[in-house]
Amino acid sequence: MRIFAALALNGFREARRNRVTLVVGMFALALLGCATLVTVITVYTFYRVLTDVGLGVMSLMLVLLAIFLSSGLLSREIERRTVFLIVTKPVSRSLFLVGRLAGNMLTLTVLLRGMAGVFFLEMLMYRVSFSSSQLVAIGVLWFELLLLSSFGFVMSSFSSQTVSAVVTTGIYFAGHLANDIYAISSRSKSTVIQVVGKVTYYLLPNLSRLNYRPQASYALSVAPGEVLSSIAYGTTYAAALVALAIILFKRRDFK
Amino acid sequence: MTSTAPPIEVRGLSKTYRLGFWMSRKVQALKSLDLTVNAGEVCGLLGPNGAGKSTTLKVLMGLVKASSGEARLFGMPPTFKETRRQIGFVPENPAPYEYLTGKEFLTLAGRLAGLSGMSLDQRVGEVLHLVAMERAAGLQIRRYSKGMIQRIALAQAIIHKPKLLILDEPTSGLDPVGRRQMRDLILAEREQGTTVLFCTHIIPDVETLCDRVAVLVAGKQVRQGSVKELLTSDAPLFETVLEGVPLSQVHAWGYQPKYSKEIGERLILRTSDQDAQSLARKVLGLSGRIIQLQPVRFSLEDLFLEALTEVKDTVGTEIT
Repeated sequence: MRIFAALALNGFREARRNRVTLVVGMFALALLGCATLVTVITVYTFYRVLTDVGLGVMSLMLVLLAIFLSSGLLSREIERRTVFLIVTKPVSRSLFLVGRLAGNMLTLTVLLRGMAGVFFLEMLMYRVSFSSSQLVAIGVLWFELLLLSSFGFVMSSFSSQTVSAVVTTGIYFAGHLANDIYAISSRSKSTVIQVVGKVTYYLLPNLSRLNYRPQASYALSVAPGEVLSSIAYGTTYAAALVALAIILFKRRDFK
Repeated sequence: MTSTAPPIEVRGLSKTYRLGFWMSRKVQALKSLDLTVNAGEVCGLLGPNGAGKSTTLKVLMGLVKASSGEARLFGMPPTFKETRRQIGFVPENPAPYEYLTGKEFLTLAGRLAGLSGMSLDQRVGEVLHLVAMERAAGLQIRRYSKGMIQRIALAQAIIHKPKLLILDEPTSGLDPVGRRQMRDLILAEREQGTTVLFCTHIIPDVETLCDRVAVLVAGKQVRQGSVKELLTSDAPLFETVLEGVPLSQVHAWGYQPKYSKEIGERLILRTSDQDAQSLARKVLGLSGRIIQLQPVRFSLEDLFLEALTEVKDTVGTEIT
């Protein structure tokens, strides 16, 4: 546990000292501030505009950051050979891997909390009431980030940072379109397209299941069972990806 | 752990790398290597680039899996945590986390090696002092020179007081001062009874540091023994530099020198002691001149070059 904590905190420290993280964090805060300007042109739907812009920017920035951080997590260590000094210690490769992912998630958690704090502060400033669906949207966003980070993590265990980032970005968009892929393919008359569509749907992470921002925009209540089911889905998918990353990383030769 | 087991025991170790997108190209980096390093010894793996030295160390550190054969450290497989607790490793061109300070990096290394609390803090201070890095301890590693990085890498390797140190090219790329410092640090570890295995292609380092040497060429071990044994294994040779007698005449007299070279009027020959004496008499009898006649000091460099010429395989031969 001590080793796990050391690795996770080291990952967090790396991100904290990485200027890109700071710049992106500040950029996110600035964009959240832009919501203030948007409200000038709206008549009375402050709640909806603030929620749309605030959660949208928060999601976009954190997703980009998750992709950037996770895709370089292992590949950078392998390319720079920093990994040689760590995996030769009495530390299993799987612990190293999970520790690094935990450090990544710790960074994203801190940023998510900070941005959520700014978001709710802004709501407070405009005397707009909060809704539980906003909290749900922010909470489930964390699981979306976990899933994306795990995917970037798998990719970076065997490919370069660029390839990992491109593929993970592609998976992000495809994951949000998973339902559409299924719907379009099932309308096709070709059995092959139907099968391909179904296989793709089941293989891709269905990220729309982890998107509660539309409900938050309209302050719709969300059933707790549905939220728990989405969280379980995201966690299970991420766990499967981490397991795959461990298998790949354990088999890997560091030339 | 077997208490009597040698720190390093390698039997029939081979490694074939699969390269390319489809992993279809095979390159054999190691061919049936046998190596034993006994407790307290400093053993050097000597060889040109691509000889398989680093691959050997990587197999021992569990960074690379052997294709066949067996490597044991203290009688245990290299991947065991218990084994790793007794080993310190410095890779070639070490790259510690550059966003950390030297002290932070050593603290992390100590934690990963199982140290904690006061004993960790104390040990970090000790190793910083040992590698003379106290003044730069609070500086981020990205600001370190190559020599400083090498020293901090050695510090992380010895932080948990390992019984075995494995070093990959520890002095490569360092200036003379840096090399001297690294050599002194390795010698200090040796004096404390630590077993050291290191690889290099810098021959003076081997002569200075090693009790035993294994010469690798193209993945094969071509020589092994103590430095003294290797340097005295051949019969002593004499180098004769003469003038006024061509090489064809020397051959006509029936001499088969081990080495010969004509430079202008001069002829340089390496022969046995007996041949050197009789050759000198014949040269003088033919009104030739003996410029120089002296015993050859056989160096590791000669041994190394001789081993290279013996092995006809290309380094890193593709086998498919």
